[in-house]
Amino acid sequence: MKNNNGKKILYILVERKVKPSKFIEIYRINHGDINKTLDYFLKCENLKLEYRINGKKDNHTGDGKNYYQRVIDFILKNKVGFIDISEDSYPDILRQIYLPPPLLFFKGNKIKEAKFSVAIVGSRRCTAYGREVTGYISRNLSEIGITVVSGLAVGIDSCAHKAALEGKGGSIGVMGCGIDIVYPPENRFLYEDILSNGSIITEFLPETPPLKSNFPIRNRIISGLCRGVVVIEAGEKSGAAITCEMALKQNREVFAVPGNIFNPMSKGCHKLIKEGAKLVESVDDILEEFSQCYKGILKLCVGSDVNNRKPKERHNTKLCGNELKVYEFIGYKAKSVEEIVRNLRIEVKEVLSILTSLEIKQLIKEDSFNKYSRLF
Amino acid sequence: MRKCIYNQCMFFRLDSFALIGIDAIKVSVEVHISRGLPEFIIVGLPGKAVSESRQRVRSAVINSGFDFPVKKIIVNLSPADIKKDGSFYDLPIALSILAASGQIGCGMFKESCFVGELSLDGNINTVKGLISMAEQAQSMGKKFFFVPYEIANQASLISGLKIVACKSLSESVEALAGGEKMEKFICKNKNKSISNKNNLYNFDFKDVKGQLKAKRALEIAVSGRHNIMLIGPPGSGKTMLAQRAVTVMPDLNLEECIEVTKIYSLYEKFVNCLIQKRPFRNPHHTISRVGLIGGGISPRPGEISLAHKGLLFLDEFSQFPKNFIEDLRQPLESREVIITRNHMSYSFPCNFMLIVATNPCYCGYFGDESKKCICSLREVRKFWKKISGPVIDRIDMRVTVARLSESSFIKNECSEGSNQIKNRIRKCINMQNLRFQGKSVSYNSEIGINIISEWLKNDKSIRELICTISRKYNLTARGTVSILKVSRTIADLEESNDIEERHIIEAVHYRVGSNNLDSSICI
Repeated sequence: MKNNNGKKILYILVERKVKPSKFIEIYRINHGDINKTLDYFLKCENLKLEYRINGKKDNHTGDGKNYYQRVIDFILKNKVGFIDISEDSYPDILRQIYLPPPLLFFKGNKIKEAKFSVAIVGSRRCTAYGREVTGYISRNLSEIGITVVSGLAVGIDSCAHKAALEGKGGSIGVMGCGIDIVYPPENRFLYEDILSNGSIITEFLPETPPLKSNFPIRNRIISGLCRGVVVIEAGEKSGAAITCEMALKQNREVFAVPGNIFNPMSKGCHKLIKEGAKLVESVDDILEEFSQCYKGILKLCVGSDVNNRKPKERHNTKLCGNELKVYEFIGYKAKSVEEIVRNLRIEVKEVLSILTSLEIKQLIKEDSFNKYSRLF
Repeated sequence: MRKCIYNQCMFFRLDSFALIGIDAIKVSVEVHISRGLPEFIIVGLPGKAVSESRQRVRSAVINSGFDFPVKKIIVNLSPADIKKDGSFYDLPIALSILAASGQIGCGMFKESCFVGELSLDGNINTVKGLISMAEQAQSMGKKFFFVPYEIANQASLISGLKIVACKSLSESVEALAGGEKMEKFICKNKNKSISNKNNLYNFDFKDVKGQLKAKRALEIAVSGRHNIMLIGPPGSGKTMLAQRAVTVMPDLNLEECIEVTKIYSLYEKFVNCLIQKRPFRNPHHTISRVGLIGGGISPRPGEISLAHKGLLFLDEFSQFPKNFIEDLRQPLESREVIITRNHMSYSFPCNFMLIVATNPCYCGYFGDESKKCICSLREVRKFWKKISGPVIDRIDMRVTVARLSESSFIKNECSEGSNQIKNRIRKCINMQNLRFQGKSVSYNSEIGINIISEWLKNDKSIRELICTISRKYNLTARGTVSILKVSRTIADLEESNDIEERHIIEAVHYRVGSNNLDSSICI
C-alpha cells in the first residue's frame, strides 16, 4: 500500500461517494495538482453527492466491515495493483482523454510497460473468417512489439487476446466490471493466461457487477489506451461502433477490416470504411498510418524502422494434383462437399481428406455446415 | 397305519425353467398330493402370477375333462430360494398334478420339459423367453420340449431338441403317450437355416439424396462399429440417415439371431420366428432410466439390450436427461449391462452401435447457411454444455449434416444403394476379423492404444502428422486415439495393410469436421 494518493482517491470515491467525473473536473480545475484536489475533497465536509456505489446504499456486510475496508482487504489479499492519475506509470495517452479514470485497478504489469498499443474490437458473434483475421492481425502486431488492447469478451476479443499473448507485444484486457469478477465466465482461463504476458485493468471498483451500462464506459478506455482501433466484424449497432465513436472523439485512428458484403457482421466495418476509416488488409496498413505521426515512439517500441520491415509470406506451401484442383474450385463463395464431388468427379473420401488437409494448411475454412470457402 | 398313510401319498416331479436375466435355469416342479383338507399350495418363492396359476390350473384341468384331486396338493418349485415369476408354470403344474394323481402315464416325463400358460378352457397360451429355455433344455440333454403352439417356431432352430407344439392341455396329454401320437405334434421346421432375404428392410440408402459426407461417415462408422454423432439443423435428414445405417450392417448369423431373439422373446410374447433383422431402436427422449438401461422388480432388458447386435439411435440427444446418458458409459465399454436386484445380478448383453443426432443449438439453425440462428452464443454454449461430457468423448465420429439446397433435391442423380455399401462393409469386417483372430476385440473401435502404437512404430512421418494435427486442433489423448481408430477402419475399407497419411487426414475430418461449431463453442 505504497500508493498513498491512490488510497486517498479510493477513500474519496468510496467513502465520500464522489463521482469519478466530479473528481476529474476538480483535478482539471487545479491544473493537475493532485494534492490540491485531494485536499479539496477531504476538507470539504458537506459534499451533497448521492453517488450510490453498485446501486446499493448500504454497503455493510455481516462482519461489520464497511465497503471501503473490504476493498482494501481485497486488494491486499489478491495482489491487485492500482495506479492513480497522478502517477508516472499512468498511461500518458489515457490521461489525455476527456474523462480519464482517476484510479485504475490492474493485475499484471503490462499496463505500466506498454509503449505503443492498438485496440482490436469486434463482434462477440463472429464468423470463422473473423476469427482467422483477428488471429492474423493480432499475432503480427504483437510480434513486432505492439500491445493489443481488447475487451475480454467472447468472439473477436478473445481471439485477439489469445493471439497477442504469443508475441512480445502482449495484451491488455479492459474489463467492464470489478476486478474480482470474471465476466463472461467462459473466459476464466483467458483471465489467467493473459497475466503471463499482459494485464487486465478496470476503472470499476471491486464488487461492481457487469452492468450493461458499464460497457460503453469501458469502451472509452479501450480506445483511450491506444493510438488506433482496428474493427473486425461489427454489426451496424454494436459495442465496436461505440468504441469507434469514442476513438474519433479522442483523436485516434480507426481501421476496419472488410468482409463479405452479404454477411451482416461486416456491415459495420463497411460503413466505417465508407465514412473514411482505413481499410486494413495486413499489419503494414496499420503501421503505415502510424509511421508518419508516431515514428519516434514506434521505432522505440518496434526496435527498427517499420518502413523497412519486409512483409511476411503467409503461405508458401505448394499444392499439387487434386488438392490444387479442389482449392481452385473452392472460390471465395462457399461450396458444399456435394458440389465439389459432382463438379470435379473426385471420390467423396478423397475430397474429405483434401478438405481437411487444406484446412490444416489454413487455406480454406468451413463457413457453414459442410460448406467451404477460401481464406487466401 | 403308517404304511397306509404312505400309500396315500403321491409324489411327482417334472422339469421346467425359470428366467434369470436372459438365461434360463432348470426348475423342478414337484407335486405332492396327500390326504387332508382339500388345499392347493404353491411354495418356492412364487410371484403373483405363479400363485394365481392355482386358479387357472384347476379350471383348465376340469375343463379338459380330467379330475382335479380333492386332496391336499403342495407344489414346490425347486430351487426354492430363487424368486419365480411368469405364467409359464401353468402347464407343468397341471401335468404334474395329473401325473401324481395317476390320471396319465408317466413314461415320457424324464426326457421332457414343459412351459406354457393355461387359459381356463385348457388352451395353452404363449410365454416369454422361450428360446432361452430351449437352449437350456438342449444343454440339459432333454429330448422333448413342450411349448405353446403359436410361438413354437421361435425355438425350432435349436438343434438336437424336438419341439412339441401343443394347442391345449389335452393335446399335450395326448402327445405324452409317445410314439406316433407324439410325432404328430412335433414342430417340423421348414427352413432349417436362416433365410437369405435381401430386402429385410423397408429403407435403402438410395433414398438419400446428396449428403455424401454423412453417407461416407456412416459407412465407416458401421464398418468399424464406431459410435457416431450427427449434428445438423432440423430437416437435414439425420433420422433418415440413421434409419438407413442398419440396412448396411452385415446380416446376422444363426448364433447372433438366437441371441437377439432371446432378448426380444423376453420383451414380447409373440415372437414366432427367429429375428433376422438387425435391431434398430429409436427410443423417445422421455424414456425412463429403467426403460433405457433395463431393470425393474424382475429385471427386464432395456432399450440398450434390445439394440444388441444392432443400432441404438438417440434422436434429439440433447433432450435426454444427462444422468441417463452417463448411465450409458459402462455399457458402452463392457458391452453388457449388469443389473442387481433382489440379491441377484442379472446381466444383459448390449453390444450395440450408438448413433446420436442433435441440433447444433436450441433454435436448431446454428451453422446453417440460409436460415440464421437466433440463439445467443451463451445459449449455444449452454446447449452443448448439457450434452458434452464423457459420453461424447466415447463417440469417435462427429459429422455435420447440412440441409440440402433445393436444386440437389430435385436433381435425379442415382446414388449408391444399400447393397453396394453393404458389400464393401462386409469386406472391411472380414479384414478386421482376420486381424483380430484370437483376440478379445472384434472391431476397430474396441482396440486400445497399445495395439495402435504398435502399428505406428515404424512410421515416423505419420507420428509427426498426428502431432501436428493434435496441436492444431487441440485434441485430447482420447481424441487422438479416436482418430487413429477411425483411420484404421478407413484403411481397412481400402483393404490397405498400413495406415497412410490420407487415411488419418480423412479421419480428422470426422473428429473436427464440425470445426465451425467447435471453435465457437470453445472460445
